[in-house]
Amino acid sequence: MIRILIVEDDANIAKLIEATVAIGGYEGVVCNNGADGFQKMENEEFDLVLLDVMLPDMSGFEIMRSRTSTTPVIFITAKQELTDKVRGLRLGAEDYIVKPFEAMELLARIEVILRRVSKTAVVYEYGDISVNVEEHTCRCKGKPVYLTPKEFEVLVFFLQHKDVAVSRDRLLSAVWGFEYEGETRTIDIHIQQLRKKLNLKEHLVTIPKLGYRLESL
Amino acid sequence: MKLWQKIFLYTMMLVMLAVGVTSILVLRSSFQLSMEQKRQSAYTEHEFLVSNFKSLLLSQRLRQNVLVLEQDQIAELMRSTFQEGNITSGLIFFNKRKQIVYEKGGFGEMSKEDQKKVKALLEIVADTGENYMQHQGDLLYILTKESLETNTYYFLTVTDISQVYGIHREMMRNVRTVCLVCAVAISVILLIVVKLLLRPLSRINQGTRAIARGDYRKRVPRKGRDELSELAYNMNRMAYAIEQNIHALEEVAEDRKKFIDNLSHEMKTPLTSILGFADLLQIQGRLSEEQRMEYAGIIKDEASRMRTLSGKLMELITVGEANIEWTREEMRQLFREMGMALCVVAESHGMRFSLECEKGYLWVDRELIKSLVYNLTDNAIKASKEGDPIAINGWFEEDSFFFSVADKGIGIPREEIEKITQAFYMVDKVRSRASGGAGLGLALCVEIAQIHQGNLSIESEIGVGTVITVRMKGGEEHEAV
Repeated sequence: MIRILIVEDDANIAKLIEATVAIGGYEGVVCNNGADGFQKMENEEFDLVLLDVMLPDMSGFEIMRSRTSTTPVIFITAKQELTDKVRGLRLGAEDYIVKPFEAMELLARIEVILRRVSKTAVVYEYGDISVNVEEHTCRCKGKPVYLTPKEFEVLVFFLQHKDVAVSRDRLLSAVWGFEYEGETRTIDIHIQQLRKKLNLKEHLVTIPKLGYRLESL
Repeated sequence: MKLWQKIFLYTMMLVMLAVGVTSILVLRSSFQLSMEQKRQSAYTEHEFLVSNFKSLLLSQRLRQNVLVLEQDQIAELMRSTFQEGNITSGLIFFNKRKQIVYEKGGFGEMSKEDQKKVKALLEIVADTGENYMQHQGDLLYILTKESLETNTYYFLTVTDISQVYGIHREMMRNVRTVCLVCAVAISVILLIVVKLLLRPLSRINQGTRAIARGDYRKRVPRKGRDELSELAYNMNRMAYAIEQNIHALEEVAEDRKKFIDNLSHEMKTPLTSILGFADLLQIQGRLSEEQRMEYAGIIKDEASRMRTLSGKLMELITVGEANIEWTREEMRQLFREMGMALCVVAESHGMRFSLECEKGYLWVDRELIKSLVYNLTDNAIKASKEGDPIAINGWFEEDSFFFSVADKGIGIPREEIEKITQAFYMVDKVRSRASGGAGLGLALCVEIAQIHQGNLSIESEIGVGTVITVRMKGGEEHEAV
């Protein structure tokens, strides 16, 4: 399981991040102050660090400067100024998220980083469906199923976010890209195709006024 | 044009003009003088020649024993007399009919124009009968009408005066050279003097340029006691005043920026929790009842934290602007009123509360004083644990009213005492937030004390307790009374 270190002094926000990464299927380890976080970073193995910049004892920038590990880091901060952003990225952070943030946004960014360092799963199993991301193949009951590229990406997105209500907008920006100006009807058609091809009618449920959810088995 | 160039140019022009005009005037008068002398001497010579010739003529008449000498004889005499004589200039005799009787120096050698001139002169002398003197180029003509041997003759001498002109020209040349040399010498001296005099100005200029560029710490160098030094002095004073103002403005801006930074941080922290957990509640499909309650609880807590923050913020912002209602209050009465309410709060937290206050009047705003005392007591309660005492004391001393709020709570670290009155500063963030603090209470207290012409002093020791003493002179009307 992928382990993510969360260094955040506000207990509620730490809990929030922990719950958010849990949705993505990651294990979150919380540290309430900079010094502990630094120790953990140096001594334990993590796949990713979510680091708050404004910590009472040791700022995130300081930790970043004095660390020796090469674990990818995402800064989380309330500071919105560009100079802070540039400073953070220059110190070697992979990304920079400004509070307040949405859970899905945080997850999306975590996934981008993990994919970049190729820590995400290659094969997803869901009941008798098996999806191999690298080979770009999908099998149902051992038989190969043909999916269009977009259908394939939608399926993988749902497999990565099991039990999460995914809005049509979120899905659009994740699969078609943020600039895509298409209609949300496109999504509905792709979902229908997936349901038909993989017999997912009962599991890929519609949530009125919001979107869809793939329920875990 | 630069100032030094102007000064240099104008002075130079003036000096050269004065020198030029003076030398020209002097030269002219000296030329006229020598010209006059020359004419005088020429005329004397002319007269001498004429009278000499007349006496010669007389002796010749006697020698030849004739009554009257004919023209031929006179011409003969002239030839014999003047041919050998060392006469400087030419001379011509004309008879009555203006024919040349004798000439030396040559009428024929004269230019046509000179001949014409001489003829014209002859006419004038014949008509008027007066003597004439005229100069023509380098030559001076003197023509007189003489009667010799009952006949009329005209006697012309031509004197070369080119020497006078030569001297004049020579002197002109000399003056020109001297003027030129003078001009060079003066310009060099002038340049040095002007530059020396204006050097402080260029130093001042450099200094002001640095100040203008924004280097307000720069000062203009100052020397001597002239106007330039005065200018430098005033320039420095100006720079100092600007520096002070800029510094003050920068401080205000810095404070404001810090305030905004802190405010945005304090707003965003609860906002992040509220948004995040609401998001989780919305998107997560399978949520246990326990989790749901926990998330909702956090949202509620954080929202109330924001409410506290916004309330305190409003108080802090409006305290300086609100219409302050000054009333003359009896302090013991006012503190007793507050004490009753505070006593209930303190005892509900299990603390012992005591209040003492001297009698006396002070101009205050009731609501602000209440806010001040409540905030300080609230801090004391938060710092204390069950069973600890909290004491409020009020007294008058000199021209001020003092009151102190003392607790035996956790105390404040020495190095933090200065910072705790800053907005959003919290010694222990986790504890402060747990008890619903926004970090604005003491900032508000300082503001209120300042409105009442007072200040806050804090004494504290870790583990021993804290005493906050407020000194107030009272409101505006205090001075009028």
